[in-house]
Amino acid sequence: MLPSKGRDPNMIKYLKQYRFYIILFLFILIPVIAIDTSTRSPREYRFYDRIIVGLTSPIQATISWSLEKLASSFENYIYLWNTHKDNLALLEENRKLLNSIANLRETQQENIRLRKILHFEEKFNIESVVARVIAKDVSTEYRSIRINRGESSGIKKNMAVVTDEGIVGRILRTTQNTSDIVTLLDPLSAVDAIVERSRARGIVEGLTDDACQLKYALRTDDIQPGDILISSGLGGIFPKGVAAGTVSRVNRKPYGITQEVEVRPSVDFSKLEEVLVVLNGVIE
Amino acid sequence: MTRTLLRALNTPLLILFVIIGLAIQSSLFAPWPLNYFQPDFVLLTVVWCALRRNFGEGGVITLFIANASEIHSSAPQGTHLVSYMAVYFFMRSASQFFVIPNLFSYAMFTLISSIIWKLVGLLILHLLGASGNQWRHTLTYLFLDASVGAAYSLWVFRWLEKFDWITFKNARAEHVVDEELQLENEGF
Repeated sequence: MLPSKGRDPNMIKYLKQYRFYIILFLFILIPVIAIDTSTRSPREYRFYDRIIVGLTSPIQATISWSLEKLASSFENYIYLWNTHKDNLALLEENRKLLNSIANLRETQQENIRLRKILHFEEKFNIESVVARVIAKDVSTEYRSIRINRGESSGIKKNMAVVTDEGIVGRILRTTQNTSDIVTLLDPLSAVDAIVERSRARGIVEGLTDDACQLKYALRTDDIQPGDILISSGLGGIFPKGVAAGTVSRVNRKPYGITQEVEVRPSVDFSKLEEVLVVLNGVIE
Repeated sequence: MTRTLLRALNTPLLILFVIIGLAIQSSLFAPWPLNYFQPDFVLLTVVWCALRRNFGEGGVITLFIANASEIHSSAPQGTHLVSYMAVYFFMRSASQFFVIPNLFSYAMFTLISSIIWKLVGLLILHLLGASGNQWRHTLTYLFLDASVGAAYSLWVFRWLEKFDWITFKNARAEHVVDEELQLENEGF
């Protein structure tokens, strides 16, 4: 009997026989070819990734908003606990008033933060967009964050992200309404920095959840604990003079070319709520 | 017909649930100190797929959800794909050599898988020359994260068991359906 047109029965037989090994080979091959050994950079969004981020970002924004409200309500509840004992009749009215005060306080705090950001904007003469942090990295090994502004607000890849306290990181990738930021704490971040006092130079890289390291600082460089690190302006991402952190520990061995310098970031990442995305690049 | 449809929807729904899980994981567990107790929904699903799906289907689901995880992280391109696939292969191999009878054993294997996942990730970073002092952080939280993952697995796997039962994806449900079909064919 002749084989049907376009189908080789032997081929089908072999495919069936070695199906497991073919699938195994593909499962090994796909992840391996996905690794980009030349740049070591995180993934860019593809069209289907944008669909996934489109699904997750509203959930992330809703949860982070709810958490904020819940925390604020809980604080009010604690505050009201004693009042409840004293006068039940006034409780309802008190609660409403305190809620309003708490809301006003929250607005006031937000106002202060935004005012500081505005002052920062004026000081460095930069054009920027204020964004709210809505999520953090899914893995505890990396320390990226997601904000609620994206391409529609003019945000592009590699734009600098700062607060009035100092450098936050740079834009990693964007969608229409969200952006991912590689923070200063991320092991893959690198910011060219100089010591404000002695002008010693190095690269600030992420180390742990609350510390960075200054790499490539020469052993002969004058670096002391307490020294302030600022961005050098090289690399074309961060404006010159923005605070990166404070030297917390220096380990200078009697041999070698470089010294180990640990840095505490100037931004408190555990309390980061709003950030400023610099839209117009480096201006000295 | 409904059963076939539910069965066909099992995989897309599972992937959708993992994506929602990723959103919850990255926002609800973002504030300190909750970040130390964040579950890794992708890892749990990979373990589940390795033990409860056939080789091809489980592998494809693993690739999909590892990709979704990667776009919610600043990990270098391909890192999550390789490390989750390594966990998948490990669990497939382990299921050939060990008897994994109940949820507690699943939790134990989740704990080991979590450790493997982190070590493979660290190895890839090292091979890419980007590990730096990351190993210190990884080793500090290695067992805490693994224990948290194992604790969540008891709850998540119970839920996945129910989900598979509802969508006629588990062996027992399949058997019941087969029996019913046979009875129908025989005119009962």
